[in-house]
Amino acid sequence: MEDYSQWTGRRVFLHFFGIITQHLIFKEIDMKSIVLSSVVTALLVFTGCSSKEPAVDSKAQQSAAEEVQAVETETVSAENSVVNSNTDATAMTMAEIESKLPTVYFAFDKYDITPEMQAKIDAAAELGNTEKAKSLNVKLEGNCDEWGSDEYNFALGLKRADAVKKALVADGIDASRISMVSYGESNPVCSEHTKECWAKNRRVDFKLLP
Amino acid sequence: MKILFSLLLFVSFVFAGDATIEVIKKADTIAALAVEDASQSYDDTFKLRFFKTLIADLNVLSIFNVDRHHRICEFNDGTVLVENKDMDYVLRYRLIEEDNGALSIQIKLLHKDESVYSKSYRVSKKDIYMFVSHAIAYDINEFMGEPSVAWMKRKVVFSRIVAPMKSEIVISDYTLAYQHTVLRGGFNIFPKWANKAQTAFYYTALDAKKPTLKYINIKNGQIKNIISSDGMMVCSDVRDDGKKLLLTMARNGQPDIYSYDVKSKKYKRLTSYSGIDVNGQFMGNNKIVFISSRLGYPNIFSKKLDTNEVEQMVYYGRSNSACSVHGNYIVYKARESSNAFSQNTFNLHLISTNTDFIRRLTATGINEFPRFSRDGDAIIFIKNFKRQSAIGIIRLNYNKNYLFPLKHGRLQSMDW
Repeated sequence: MEDYSQWTGRRVFLHFFGIITQHLIFKEIDMKSIVLSSVVTALLVFTGCSSKEPAVDSKAQQSAAEEVQAVETETVSAENSVVNSNTDATAMTMAEIESKLPTVYFAFDKYDITPEMQAKIDAAAELGNTEKAKSLNVKLEGNCDEWGSDEYNFALGLKRADAVKKALVADGIDASRISMVSYGESNPVCSEHTKECWAKNRRVDFKLLP
Repeated sequence: MKILFSLLLFVSFVFAGDATIEVIKKADTIAALAVEDASQSYDDTFKLRFFKTLIADLNVLSIFNVDRHHRICEFNDGTVLVENKDMDYVLRYRLIEEDNGALSIQIKLLHKDESVYSKSYRVSKKDIYMFVSHAIAYDINEFMGEPSVAWMKRKVVFSRIVAPMKSEIVISDYTLAYQHTVLRGGFNIFPKWANKAQTAFYYTALDAKKPTLKYINIKNGQIKNIISSDGMMVCSDVRDDGKKLLLTMARNGQPDIYSYDVKSKKYKRLTSYSGIDVNGQFMGNNKIVFISSRLGYPNIFSKKLDTNEVEQMVYYGRSNSACSVHGNYIVYKARESSNAFSQNTFNLHLISTNTDFIRRLTATGINEFPRFSRDGDAIIFIKNFKRQSAIGIIRLNYNKNYLFPLKHGRLQSMDW
């Protein structure tokens, strides 16, 4: 038995590197076919990707003769490409889901949810519980009209966000997926000095977070 | 005669909206003061700008009836200008541009052609001239033996909304003539001076992941994170010694008031009502005054910290949503009308905890964010009227209000 406890990190690395190399040489034929098929897969995956890819491919082909390194290169780039496409897919779904989420409006100086708005929140919760959206978190942004810029107005925006949060939790959304912020009157969507405009500003927006 | 009388009546009604109407009542009883400019250096634009600033400062003293004519004279003339011979006092000054660009100013106060007070001032750059003007007004006020206007020399820190979710934090003098933007870009609001010396302030950063209270040292620009809370975070008050803060935080989505110890970094929840509790203000060592919705609308309450006894402080006004405390006095903002489009929506009122007396301090527009000066002599506030923001000063002892408009953006909050 080897006593590994006395080994330095460098020695451990060299030891295992040696074992892996030996192992790979025995499996030379298999390895070559794996590398080649990987290259083909990579070419298929990378078709239409960014300009970096040809460099990766040529490296992979070039190193096909040196079995050990070839495996490394191939694996890394393949993983990367998968990760990238995954991120894109998430971003796509996030934007897609976010566009379907409602804006919840409130009456003047109030933070209770009207039946009409409750229906919107129920629909949002249903969407939030779908397989696509389940991994996403949501930030509820409470907003007020311009009538007053003090702390009370900010608290009112927050209570609005909190009311929506409670409604979502009641609809089965996990509370840990929801964060809140109040922007008071400082994030208006409409800046005219009319009643209609102010009604548009008394709202809670849904923002999705990965 | 009737026509003339009704015309006068009409004019007085037009100006009745402004609390400076009180000046007219007192005009006969206060001393008349004229200002004479004996400057040799600088162009006419700068000379006039300085003159206007000085006139505004002298007006705010509220102890003179200040003549607004810009008159030129010789600094060493033994007599005042003939136009000013009936004035009780004449303030004569001279602006001198030094070789290194510094601005030097000499003044003398004349009373019956005698110089009764004189002094010289100097600043390294001419564009901070307004601070000299404030210092001159402060000194004249001291010379006249009036209650101190030390607040005139203090700085104001305010946040200005420049676009949705974009703001700036600006340091200015009390007239907004001097403005220095300390924080640009980002979404930073609710600035609050951290100490008496005004060398640092707290503010809320809303573009962080969670609303975060930050501390900035304005001498070296260093920023420290203090504490974060989901939903909401505001530093509502700093105790006189700077060691304790009152914060509004919303742990679990519930806006409540917390005390925060600057040294130990420990916080303690002081209110726990299920509605809204915000805007905590220290009143002495053992009491806080705050805004709560526990009656179904915002109103002012106090809470004793040892007994947890809560008391309603104000019985007037249907919606009182902001306040500031000095000694036994509370100034608060009351909603006057539920019609947001009326001329008269939010006004400031003053009460004393010792009496039932309520004094209305403003008459028109949207008046909010009242803040006492440290000595309680004056109140600063934000006035929004017809889409323009202004900083207002109320001299409590003289019952006079002064407004200094902000050129662009909308004032979000400020501290003095």
